[in-house]
Amino acid sequence: MNIATNPMPGKKANKLSATRIAGKLVNDYWEMVWRAKEEGKLICWYEGSAINPFLEAADICWVHGEAYSAMLAARHQEVKAQQVAEERGYMRELCSYARTHLGCAVSNQRLRGDDTGAVPDDDDLTWKLPAPDMIISAYAYCSTGQQWDEMTSRVFGKKVPIFNVSLPWIWGSKPDAGYLKGQEWEETSDYVTRQLNDMVKFIEEQTGKPYPWDRLYEMMADIKRASELRLEAMELCTAQPAPASFFDWVVSIAPINNLPVAGVKNYFETVLDEVKARVAAGEGCVPDEKYRLFFDGIMNWNKVGWLANKFANYDAAVIAGRYTHMAFWQEPGLINPNDPVRGMAQNYLICPNNHASPILIKLIMDLCRKFEVDGMVIHASRTCRAFTNPQFMIAETAQRELGIPSSMFEGDVTDESFYKDEVLNSRVEAMLEAIESRRMSVVA
Amino acid sequence: MDRSDIIARFAEVAQDPLAYAAAWKARTGKQVIGSFPMNFPGELAHAADTLPMILQESDEAITVGHGVLFPFYCGYTRSMVDQAASGKFDVLDAIMFGDHCVQLLGAADAIRMKLTDTRVIFFQLISSMCDPWTQGRSEESFGKLRDELEDFIGAKVSDAALHASIRLFNKNRALIRKLYEMRKAGTAAIRAVEMQHVVKSSMIMDKAEHTDLLQELVASYTDAPAADRNVRLHLSGHFCQAPKPELLNMIESCGVTVVGDDLYHGFRYISTDVPETGDPVAGLARWYMDRNTGVPCPTRVQNNVDWEAYLLDAMREEKADGMIVLMAKFCEPHMYYYPEVKEAFEGAGVPHLLIETEHEGMAMEGLKTRVETFVEIVKRREAA
Ligand code: SF4
Ligand code: SF4
Repeated sequence: MNIATNPMPGKKANKLSATRIAGKLVNDYWEMVWRAKEEGKLICWYEGSAINPFLEAADICWVHGEAYSAMLAARHQEVKAQQVAEERGYMRELCSYARTHLGCAVSNQRLRGDDTGAVPDDDDLTWKLPAPDMIISAYAYCSTGQQWDEMTSRVFGKKVPIFNVSLPWIWGSKPDAGYLKGQEWEETSDYVTRQLNDMVKFIEEQTGKPYPWDRLYEMMADIKRASELRLEAMELCTAQPAPASFFDWVVSIAPINNLPVAGVKNYFETVLDEVKARVAAGEGCVPDEKYRLFFDGIMNWNKVGWLANKFANYDAAVIAGRYTHMAFWQEPGLINPNDPVRGMAQNYLICPNNHASPILIKLIMDLCRKFEVDGMVIHASRTCRAFTNPQFMIAETAQRELGIPSSMFEGDVTDESFYKDEVLNSRVEAMLEAIESRRMSVVA
Repeated sequence: MDRSDIIARFAEVAQDPLAYAAAWKARTGKQVIGSFPMNFPGELAHAADTLPMILQESDEAITVGHGVLFPFYCGYTRSMVDQAASGKFDVLDAIMFGDHCVQLLGAADAIRMKLTDTRVIFFQLISSMCDPWTQGRSEESFGKLRDELEDFIGAKVSDAALHASIRLFNKNRALIRKLYEMRKAGTAAIRAVEMQHVVKSSMIMDKAEHTDLLQELVASYTDAPAADRNVRLHLSGHFCQAPKPELLNMIESCGVTVVGDDLYHGFRYISTDVPETGDPVAGLARWYMDRNTGVPCPTRVQNNVDWEAYLLDAMREEKADGMIVLMAKFCEPHMYYYPEVKEAFEGAGVPHLLIETEHEGMAMEGLKTRVETFVEIVKRREAA
């Protein structure tokens, strides 16, 4: 088959219908955020690590910066925020999550500040993000996370209290080093645990109330269960055809990562049921699964549906990814709901980038083997270097160890202008042809 | 040696750091430890009887490095992986670093994979500078580095040796600061590129050898230069890599005298001394923290310190009329902080010009026009 000249037009991804619920949960959550000030809630801005249960338990409204930027991009309303940021001097090569979110901060300051006289438009989501009463910075691996928070605090005139949690990178050079093991892992876990306990004291200072640990314990029991359900459903995607795709898991990030805990367990129960039913019925996430692919890189939030359909059209099931399958309460076994802080610290330390290459690449290769992928799509996200850092090494290792080809395309998390459709098409087509010829040679 | 010979020697080392290291190694039979900027305590490696050198961006075009890091990384990190992948770092016995700019982590990770025979040691320095535990955590990190070094050389690094290295490094820094003072006061005409040679070679050369030459150099400025009518400018920014000499020369050719800077290959590197008494590791941690209050760095976060305020103060002291910001293309920490600087300078009515620099070189003619225009603006403002 000549893939390049004979694409089957019109095939669409067979999305999990449960993911529609995610859409509703996300909308409800943002409505809650937009109401929070009126309801007299304290608001905390944070990025990166899912510290939201710590905040939700204390009745603080939590606003995850990436989630806000991703939501704007998914609704195609990100450009305004990015323009505002650019006007203040934030350059286009900066992390577009951060730029978009900083644009919201600048816009908020201008329009809510008492010196401008500008009238905010209520439909303008750039402006609508409520200003923080506190900022907590807890970003694994990427130095940008911490700088973004610091600059946010400066946009708000340094009047908002900020608390920094430092999450060291797991360099893993000692003989005992490995995934979730070794002295470095244990020491780092202890160090972050100590800081999280101090963070709780900071939260107590802000709320003026003793910290409600029991509520946190309950929430973490729910999150642990939700995570187990999610992983079980992901595991079932070893089936051929795969019942759910990387894009379904992308849509399911918000529920596991930053939505109110109450609805999360139910959501993943529904997802798991649907995935099981699909496996039983032999129903796949694309109409005709001919290729199974791994997706390396962060998501292109303005392109989720577009990419899902594009790959479906190529008969390619994108099954697993570094972004979805190596993060977000990824190790529920580490969480003891009656004493969760250390397990939470450890889950923060397993962001998909926070282990240096030898450990990280091994995890990726294991996933590729498990899901029996034929190739790898690599999204070189222009402004997220945290994800692009090891990508050449990942591609090389996949070819060397597994004999699978990869295709790289340039895009970005939330800045559409970096996305190049033609490059993606031609590279994916070349990769699929390579997969085909490899199959032919195996048959011959 | 006379003044021009000394500067020529510094320039020679600055231009080919790895050749210096190879010659030093052949001469002494000792080990060379490369480090990444900007907060490596060379004192520790020096006390371990090795040559610590801060690895420098090379002028060479990136070739094999293209297959390791994407083109949208800063020139420093791309040059590092390129040099590593093309065998240029063979002279190094180990690489050590503690800074964790995300691009640097990518480069370090790739370098470890490429240089399988070179030990690459990472000790993550806390970058949040005003937490109650910053000093303690920094001590732990430097303590770990000391352990790793001892393990690497197979011997203990004594407190006495470390104190001696600290004294030597302090002396070296103090001498360079003296040059800065003289330039600011107008008692020594030191061109920007010469200052870069002085500082950059200090990052590379054996400290005692460098210090001896520096002493001679400082002593050589007995003749106060004639006053000029140039515009006095401060150069700001440019972290891990040195601005290209031709860029500095071009700027000064536009009727500019550079009277101060906070470049890493400049005042930032030598701004702060390490306490000479007490526990030396605690002293290094103190130095690490003091450096950021001395010359604030956007790669750190410290809510109670403002780089822009520092810059405005420094310029008042230097009697500088304007500032040129040199920003290495794709340098994220710098890009994050720049809007604060811009806003503060615009608010204070102090002119500045932003120049983005690229590893691959820049169209100097176009830049020259921009600098000339800027100089005119500064002059007009002075005249008004
Ligand atoms: S660059 Fe990537 S990892 Fe870093 S803050 Fe932005 S999105 Fe997060
Ligand atoms: S601080 Fe800037 S120059 Fe240094 S490694 Fe990071 S991006 Fe490159």
